[in-house]
Order: sequence, then C-alpha cells, then structure tokens
Amino acid sequence: MEVPAVRVEGLEKDYGKVRALKGISFQIGEGEIFGLIGPNGAGKSTTLKILATLLKPTAGKAEVFGHDVVEEAGKVRGMISYLPEEAGAYKNLTGREYLEFMAKLYAKGGRNADEMLELGVELSGLGERLDDKVSTYSKGMTRRLLLARALMVKPKLAILDEPASGLDIINAYTIRKTIKALSASEGVTFLISSHNMLEVEYLCHRVALISGGRIVEAGTPAELKERYEAENLEEVFMRAIGLEGGQK
Amino acid sequence: MSDFWVLFAKELKNLLRDKKLIFGLVVVPLIIYPALGKGMGIGIEKARGETHVAIANFDSGDYGSLLIKALNSSPNVTVTLVEAGDVAAALERASNLKQNVLVVIPPGFSESIAENRSAIVYVYGIFSSLGTGMKESVSEGRINAIIQALSRGIAEIKVRKLGFSEPSALLSPIQARSLSYVRGRLVNVSPSAVSAILASQSVTLPIVVFLMVTLTAQIAAGAIASEKENKTLETLLTLPVKRTTIVASKIGGTAVMGLIAALTYTFGMRSYIGSSFGGSNVSLGDLGIRITPQGILLFGVVVFLTVAFALSLAMLLAIFSEDVQSANTVVSSVILPLAFPSFILMYTDLSSLPKAAAYALLSDPFTHPIVAYQWMLAGEYARIAWSIGYLSAAALALLYLTARAFSGEKILTAKMGWGRRRR
Repeated sequence: MEVPAVRVEGLEKDYGKVRALKGISFQIGEGEIFGLIGPNGAGKSTTLKILATLLKPTAGKAEVFGHDVVEEAGKVRGMISYLPEEAGAYKNLTGREYLEFMAKLYAKGGRNADEMLELGVELSGLGERLDDKVSTYSKGMTRRLLLARALMVKPKLAILDEPASGLDIINAYTIRKTIKALSASEGVTFLISSHNMLEVEYLCHRVALISGGRIVEAGTPAELKERYEAENLEEVFMRAIGLEGGQK
Repeated sequence: MSDFWVLFAKELKNLLRDKKLIFGLVVVPLIIYPALGKGMGIGIEKARGETHVAIANFDSGDYGSLLIKALNSSPNVTVTLVEAGDVAAALERASNLKQNVLVVIPPGFSESIAENRSAIVYVYGIFSSLGTGMKESVSEGRINAIIQALSRGIAEIKVRKLGFSEPSALLSPIQARSLSYVRGRLVNVSPSAVSAILASQSVTLPIVVFLMVTLTAQIAAGAIASEKENKTLETLLTLPVKRTTIVASKIGGTAVMGLIAALTYTFGMRSYIGSSFGGSNVSLGDLGIRITPQGILLFGVVVFLTVAFALSLAMLLAIFSEDVQSANTVVSSVILPLAFPSFILMYTDLSSLPKAAAYALLSDPFTHPIVAYQWMLAGEYARIAWSIGYLSAAALALLYLTARAFSGEKILTAKMGWGRRRR
C-alpha cells in the first residue's frame, strides 16, 4: 500500500487555554497539491507548523511520508521545505548568498548545491538584484527570494503558508505556474494555505475547508462546488460554515 | 563543508556586516579609547610644561633676593617680577599676565630667617579657568620643591656655621630606603612602584572582562532575537540541520566576535591607560613574576569558559524574548548585576576578604578571569584548574538548558516583551 505524503489523524493543539485545533484529520497523496482554506485563526498555520516540525501536537498524529513529525522530526525536515506566512531573509546577506547558504544545507546525499542555486536564481527572477543586500529588497522581492529558496531544493513535500502573499498579479501568476510545473515534472507534493480562493481553485487538486480548528469540508474544488451548488470556493466556504444559505 | 561550518560562516558574515556592531567592536576601542587617552595625555603634558610664576617681593633683605634667584635658575620656570602695593593688586596683575602661580615674599621675610625664626612665603595658584586645575597643581608642586630645596640649603649653611661638618645628618637623622618583598623574593623596587604596576593590571583586566562579557552577551542575544525579529527563525528551525548544530554555530560565531572584542578592548584600554597615565618603568619581570605558556593557556581557558557561560546565558534569555530590544533589556538586567561584583577585585583581593564573601564572589563566574589572572601571576595553577572545573560545569549546564530550550517550541511561542509596555 502506498504511503501518503501527509497523514493527519485527530490532530489537536492547545495554546494554554485556547484550543487551536480540535481533532482534524486529512491525507495528501504524493504529487498532489492540497489546499487548506479558512479564515484567520481557523488553525491553518498551526497545522502547517506541526507538519513542519515547529510545534508539537497536544494530541493526535501527523506523519510525512510515514515518518512521525514528533518522533522523527529530523527525517521529516530532510524531506520538507517550509515557507512561513511571515518570513524574512538575512538582511546583511545578498540574495545570492542567501540562496547559496540554503542550498549548501540541503545539498546532501549526492544532491548538488550548484544546481539548486541555479534553479533558485531562475525561480527568484531577481536578476542582477540578487547581488544586492536583502535589506534593500521590497516586500515582494523578499517573498520571491523566499519562495525560490523553498522550491529550489525540490523537496518531497513543500509546505507553503500563503505563498503569494505580498506578490503582485504577475509574480503571483508566475509562482502558481511554477508550483504546478514542479508538481507535474518533479512529483513534488504541496500543502498550501491561502485566503485567496481563486488561487486555491486554480492550483489545488484537493482542498480542505477549516474553521474554528475543525475541518468542515474536503474534496476537489469541482466536487465542493457541485455539492454546495456554488459558483466558486468562496461561496462553498460561506455555505459550509453556515453563514450563507445553499444546497448541500 | 559540514552544516556547522555553513551556519558558522553565515553567522560571521551576518555579524561582520552589521555596522552598529563593528562600531562598538572596532571603532570605539581602537579609535575612540586611544583618542581619549591621547587627549588626557596631551593635557598632562601641557600641565607639565613651562610654569609661569609671578613674584611680588615685599621684603628688602637678601633671602628674598636669594629665593627669586633660585626660582629664576630652575628649569621649566619663567619668573616675572610684579610691582604692586599689596597682595590683592599683585594677584590681579599676575592674573592679567596669565601667570600660573604668584609667589608673595612678605615684609620681614629675610629678617625672620636671619634671626633663626621660620619665615613664611605665600604661593597662590591662579585659576584663570575652571578646567582640571592640573597645570596649577603641577606649578604649585614645582615651586614648593624649589622653596624646600632652598630652605634646606639655607639650613645646611646655618648648621655648618655652627660647626657641624655633616649638616644633612643633623637635618635628616633618619632616612628611609624602600624595598619590596614580593611573594618571597626581595626586589629593589619601592612598594609604591610595585603597587603602581599591580594596580595598572588590576584596573585594566576587570574593565576588559566586563566589556567583553557584556558586549558578547548582547551579540549572542541579538543573534537569537534578530532571528525572531526578522522572521527567519521558523525557516531556520525547519532546515535539515540538527538544532544543537544551530546553537553551536551561533555560539561559535558570537565567540569569534567576543575574541575580537577582547583583543580590541585590551588594546584600546592599554592604549588609553598608557597614554593618559603614563607607563610604569617597572615590569612584572622586575618583580620576579614570570608568566609561563602553561599559565597563559590555563588563563585563556578560563576566559573562554567565562565567555561561553555569558553567551549561553544570553541565548537562553533571548529565547524567551520577543525581539532584539527585549532581549537586550533582559540580558543587561541579568548580566550586569552578575558582572559588577568583579569590580570589587579592583580594590581588594580574595585573601583579604572574609571567607563567606570570597566564596560568594567565586560563585559568580564573571569574577573568575580576574582571580585566575592573579593566580596565574602567582603560579598557582591548581587553583586555576579548580576554576576551570567550576566554569566548565556552569557553562555546560547552561549550554544544555539552552539547547533544550532551542529544541522545544517555547522558542517560537514565548513572546515576552521584557522591558516593553504591552499595549
């Protein structure tokens, strides 16, 4: 039986008295682009952080390619690449130095740092600005650099929290195309969280709607739209959480 | 290249390109300190320059003239005679002539001496501005020395007239010759000269250690807290690298900066103290104190472990801080009280303290470089070894706690805004 790229079962997470996740479960197949959609505070980032080995679950289980994210955190880190929603790069390094630094840390087991760097340079689209210090970059440029860093290593699982946040239309479009291409050509699995329903609909093979720490619906965008007789995922979400009337 | 070296190189590159850090690490100790010292040195040199002395002679006898002659023939003294009806007028004239000192020879000065009574001569330091007063002080000392020499000369002549062939034996029947007995060895150096060289050592070292420890602690705290502030921490913690390697590389990078700080501050302080207070003519070698390579090595280990302790403590505190500002606040409020007791050792040594106080001081790791330095000079290497044992245990315990804290999720979830008001 094929091991899923991600397996989450009954995942719970408490921050003191606040319960951020109330027992969520889902699976992601290898090579799939999976979207986690929900409002602020729904539990998207917490889920992503647990899978990225940053947080430990209060209860439940999370595995990446069959490896427990708590017990085998080191192995999991070797397979993933995580892009936080709010992320920065080292301001005193140039963009190229930053990519080179990251490539060297990922270049293990015969993987080539130069190839990673070459891909990173291409994905960033920053051209000559890569030789400038990161402190001189705009928010959009920094985001492109970070995305290039996350994708150049061709991870088995890329965990991207709001990947296109802060990017203009052209850059966001280019990034989406890159994600699709990497998924198709390299078999990279993607777990993406986003507020942008259009983005998710365009990108994801399957999505899960999350609200109040629970997954309220899951399926392909087409299935969900059909199930809720909705024109888009935005309507699906509003109907799924009962804020707007509609068929199920 | 191993993960450690990749991370270490990044840390160093990041730190060395921080302009504020380089200012504190290089510009302050290597340029500002020596410049301050030079400035003070120039002030002292100036004070030691020519003394301009005005003389108001209200005496008509020979001894008054003799005093003027003595002052006139002394090196570094320029004499100007002022004509005035009284002392106040003489002072005003001397001040207008920008003299440093006014010497007033009162009426009856010669008569008193001739009749074997004490005569008084008045020496007024003239302060034209309220600066350091160094020039006036040096001038007064110089004039007093001339007056004393003259006074002694007159006394000797008088004693000779009484028929004594050796007047100095009569005038100074007891003469003291100062020597020192330093740790079982007799040296032909006065205790004040020995004290001066030991004091210059005991002043410099605590200051250098204090600066080095506080500076590297701030750098270490900044290295962790800036990862939070610049939102690079989450990415760093998900890289395929052991957390202990990340901590080690940060400590390594910061320790190099600490080493640079130690070197630049030692050089800067030496240059400051050397140029402002003048060097001593006596060396440690003259006192029979030999610093062996073994002693230097042991002392180096003590300094290294103290820095390691400070770095680990700073990192541990920074893990629970929200940003660089909070980290700096909490590190200062913990490290400074721990570093201050070492200044006690500037004025006293452990053996002269009550036992409880000595042990209390030794329980503070930051006092160890200073006592270890004294032990190194004394050749008491077993005591330094004991110090190394204690510091190793303290540094390792803290390193363990830091690595533990770094491996958990507290590093991400703890958001204590130390010293900052919550909105």
